[in-house]
Amino acid sequence: MLIQLEDINKTYDNGQPLHVLKGVNLSIEEGEFVSIMGASGSGKSTLLNILGILDTYDSGNYYLGGTLIKDLSETQAADYRNRMIGFIFQSYNLIGFKTAVENVELPLFYQGVPRRRRHEMAMDYLDKLGLKDWAGHYPNEMSGGQKQRVAIARALITKPKIILADEPTGALDSKTSVDIMNLLSTLNREEKMTIIVVTHESGVANVTNKIVHIRDGVIGEIEQNIRHDSSPFGADGIMK
Amino acid sequence: MKGLMKYFDVDRFREIYQTLVRNRSRTILTGFGVFWGIFMLLFMMGGGQGVKDMIQVELQGFATNSGFIVPMETSVPYMGFKSGRTWTATLDDIEHLRSNIPEIATVTGNLSVWGGTATYEEKTSSCQGRGVSPDYVNIEQPVLKYGRYINAVDMAQERKVCVIGKRVYNDLFEDGEDPCGKFIQMQGTYFQVVGVDFSSGNVSINGSADESVTIPMTVLQRLYNRGKTIDLICIVAKPGCKIKDILAKATPILAKEHYFSPDDPKALYNVNLEELFSIMDNLFKGVSLLIWVVGFGTLLAAAIGVSNIMMVTVKERTTEIGIRRAIGATPSMILSQIMLESVILTIVSGMMGILLAVGSLSIAENVASASAGVPIGFQLSFGTAVLGLIILMVLGLLAGLAPAIRAMDIKPVDAMREE
Repeated sequence: MLIQLEDINKTYDNGQPLHVLKGVNLSIEEGEFVSIMGASGSGKSTLLNILGILDTYDSGNYYLGGTLIKDLSETQAADYRNRMIGFIFQSYNLIGFKTAVENVELPLFYQGVPRRRRHEMAMDYLDKLGLKDWAGHYPNEMSGGQKQRVAIARALITKPKIILADEPTGALDSKTSVDIMNLLSTLNREEKMTIIVVTHESGVANVTNKIVHIRDGVIGEIEQNIRHDSSPFGADGIMK
Repeated sequence: MKGLMKYFDVDRFREIYQTLVRNRSRTILTGFGVFWGIFMLLFMMGGGQGVKDMIQVELQGFATNSGFIVPMETSVPYMGFKSGRTWTATLDDIEHLRSNIPEIATVTGNLSVWGGTATYEEKTSSCQGRGVSPDYVNIEQPVLKYGRYINAVDMAQERKVCVIGKRVYNDLFEDGEDPCGKFIQMQGTYFQVVGVDFSSGNVSINGSADESVTIPMTVLQRLYNRGKTIDLICIVAKPGCKIKDILAKATPILAKEHYFSPDDPKALYNVNLEELFSIMDNLFKGVSLLIWVVGFGTLLAAAIGVSNIMMVTVKERTTEIGIRRAIGATPSMILSQIMLESVILTIVSGMMGILLAVGSLSIAENVASASAGVPIGFQLSFGTAVLGLIILMVLGLLAGLAPAIRAMDIKPVDAMREE
C-alpha cells in the first residue's frame, strides 16, 4: 500500500470554522493511475495538499510508503516533498527567470546534487519528453503544452514515489490536454509511476484507471475505469 | 558541517547572481546607497585624520604642555607706582620661578632682535635673531639637519655661534651643502654656523624657527645691550601638572619682584598652549564623533533601504519561493538565500565604496603631502577598512533578517493560491 489515508479531518478556521475534509479514507496502491474528481469546494484541493505534504491535517493518519506523515517539521516536510513527491500544477509553476533545463534541475539542486550531474539528468529527462531543443529557452518562450512537459520533467527528475497533478490540463487547449494526459498515461504504463490527478473534468478523469469521487469532504463512489468509458463523451474525448 | 557547507557553494552564488542581475537597475540603485554611505564614512574619517595630521605638522616639535608669560603694561596703580608702567622680565625671574614652583619641568627665556638680515658671501636672507639658552630645546624641539644646537659652553664663553632655520639655510646655502663652520653676518656681526634646524613647525613664539638665526642668549644680551632681560618666559610643566596652576602661582611671584599688583589683569599676558591644545583636541574629537554619527547614519539609512527593497522583492517573489518550497527547499535554505542576497548586495556595493574612498584619500594624501613637504596621513589603515567590511557584513545581515523571515513564512500552498 503506497498511500493510506485513515479518517482524515481538516477544518479551516478563517473567522468561521469550515469543515473541509470529514473523515477521508483512501488507499492507493503502487503503480496506480488515479483521478480524484469533485466540484469546486468539494475538498479535492485540500486533499491534494495533504497528500503532497503541502498542508497539515487535524486528525487521522496519513501513511506515505509506510511512513506516517504527521506533525512534521517544515524541514522534514520539505525533504519528503523533495524525495517522494513530484508536483504538476495547473499554472505550470515554472520559475520565469530560469531556463527549461534550470527549472528541471532545481529539485536536484535542493538535494545537493553536483551541477554537472544534475544538468546531465535534466537534459536526459527533457530529451525523453521531446524538449531537448528547448532546454535553453525561458518559460515565456514556450507554449502551454511545452511548459507543462517541462514541469513534468521537473516532477520526474527526483524519481518520486508519486506524481500529484493538480488540474494538469486546466490551462491547456483540448488537443494539448489529450497529449499531456496520454503522456501521463504512458508514464504510468511504462515507468510504473503512481500518478494521482485532481480534476473536475470527467474527460480528464476518464483517461485514468480509477476515479475517486469526492463530495462535500467525503469520498463517494470509487469507479474502476480500466475500459476508459466512464466519460459521458466517450473514450479519448476531453471536452473543454 | 556538511549541511552548512551546502549554503556556500558556487550554485548558491549563481542563484543569487541571477536574482540580483534580473532587476539590474533596482539592484544598482539600492547598492548605490550603501556604496555612498560607506564612501562618505571612510572618506570623512580619512579626511578628518588628514586635516588633524596637517595641523599636527604645524605644531611639530612644540611642547604641548607649555605656557608663556609676556610682560605688559600695568593697568592699576600699585605701591606708589602709577598705572601704565612697563616692566621687563629678567634671568632672575626665571631662577625665582624655578626655585619656587616645583611643578615646573623647564623654565627658560627667549629674546629676539627683529628685522635682521643674514649675509653669506653675496647672498642675503631676511631673518630674526633669537637668543635662547640650551634648555630651550624642551620648548621647541629642533630637527637638526646639520651640526648641533646651542650648548652650555656657547653660553658660558659667549661664543658667537648660531643655528640657522630652514629658510635662512635655503637662502644662503646650496641645497645639500653643510654650512657648519661657515661664517654668516648679521647686523654687522659674524657668527659661525654650528647647526641647521629643519623643524617645519609653524608655531611662532617670538618668531618661527624657520627664519631664525638662533644664538646664545648671553651673546644677544651683550651685543644688543639687553643686560639680563628677556622678552618672554617659557614654561614646560612636569607630567601630570597643569600649566594653568603654574601660571597662577607665577603671577604673584613676578608681581612681587616687579612691583605690580598681583590682581592686575593686564600687567602680564599668559599664553596657555596646553589649554589651546586641549581645545583643539576636543574639537577634533567632536569632529570625529560627528563624522561617525553622520557617516554611520548614512550607512544605516542605506541598509534600511536594502531591507526595504528586499522586502518588496520577497513580496514579488512569493510564487517563486512557494514553488521552491513545494519542490523541496527547506525554510533554512530560503532564509539563507535571502540573507546572502542582502549581504552580497551590501558587501559588493560597499567594497566599491571602500575602493573609491581609498582612491580619493590616496589622491588627497599625495596633494597634501606635496604641498606640505612632509608626509600627511589621509589614508585609512588596513584595520579601518576591515572594520568597514565587518560593519557592512553586519548591516547586510540585519537588513536581510526581516525580509528573510518573511520569505521563510511563505507556505508552498501560496504558490498555487496565486491565480
